[in-house]
Amino acid sequence: MKLSTLLRREAIVVPMQNTDKKLVIEELLDAALATGQILDRAKALQSLLDRENLGSTGLEKGLAIPHARTSAADGIVMALGVAPEGIDFQAADGGLSHLFFLLLASDALTGTYVQILALIARLNQQADFRQKMLAATTPEEIIAVIRKTEE
Amino acid sequence: MSAAKYGIVLAKITGAALKAIYVVNIDLLKQLERARIFVKVEELDYERDLEEDGWNYLRDITDLANSKGLSLETELLKGTVHKIAIQKVEEWGADLLIMGELEPGLARQDTFHDETGLIFRKARCSVLMAKDTERIDELFESIT
Repeated sequence: MKLSTLLRREAIVVPMQNTDKKLVIEELLDAALATGQILDRAKALQSLLDRENLGSTGLEKGLAIPHARTSAADGIVMALGVAPEGIDFQAADGGLSHLFFLLLASDALTGTYVQILALIARLNQQADFRQKMLAATTPEEIIAVIRKTEE
Repeated sequence: MSAAKYGIVLAKITGAALKAIYVVNIDLLKQLERARIFVKVEELDYERDLEEDGWNYLRDITDLANSKGLSLETELLKGTVHKIAIQKVEEWGADLLIMGELEPGLARQDTFHDETGLIFRKARCSVLMAKDTERIDELFESIT
């Protein structure tokens, strides 16, 4: 599977407008609504916040992956936000988060869900990918960067 | 499912014994936990769900084999996919390992990309990748 084919341009926010953690998640979730695969916004938000309460999904190297499995999602739903200035998302390394991949999956898709999480983490290991993503200013450019890296 | 159907077709024609494994990729779950993408409770939760998926898959393909008058020995295992596949090939003295087709658009960063490549390179027996789902379905339906 490829992120560049899973990700819809309507579900990409560049640059992110909010800086408060909960509002960042809501901004991404609202972008994800454009996919038409969110069956219940309130329930999806609660699933994401419940997961966040277990431990921040702010990781290392500026990456954050707010994620949850939920019956409020129809299949795999993704949204992406870019924050060139960085947002305090309580990341594991204490740094600011710049790339936000929101991932929701219906309960039956655990295998695919796990694969996508691994794929995002692997992509973000590449410094060149991170730099190009932060330099991109449109959803089209972002998809092009992801596609090129995946090739 | 195509790999299982193709294996059943070949076993029916050749009389070969048929075995199937499903590997829960624990390695990947642990990697995600180490990278802090998962918290421990999620890792355990997903491991349980993947195990359940595995049992469902093995049950389904056993039914397929039985529907063609064949028996199928199955095992659900946990660990690193390529290591377990290769280990079982050696343990059973298998003559042929059949795998399902990967998605044509699989990213190089995808874990399955590596796992499949390693199986192809390291397995001591011949490895066959089942392709063309429609054709395999036709073949499967054609045998009794």
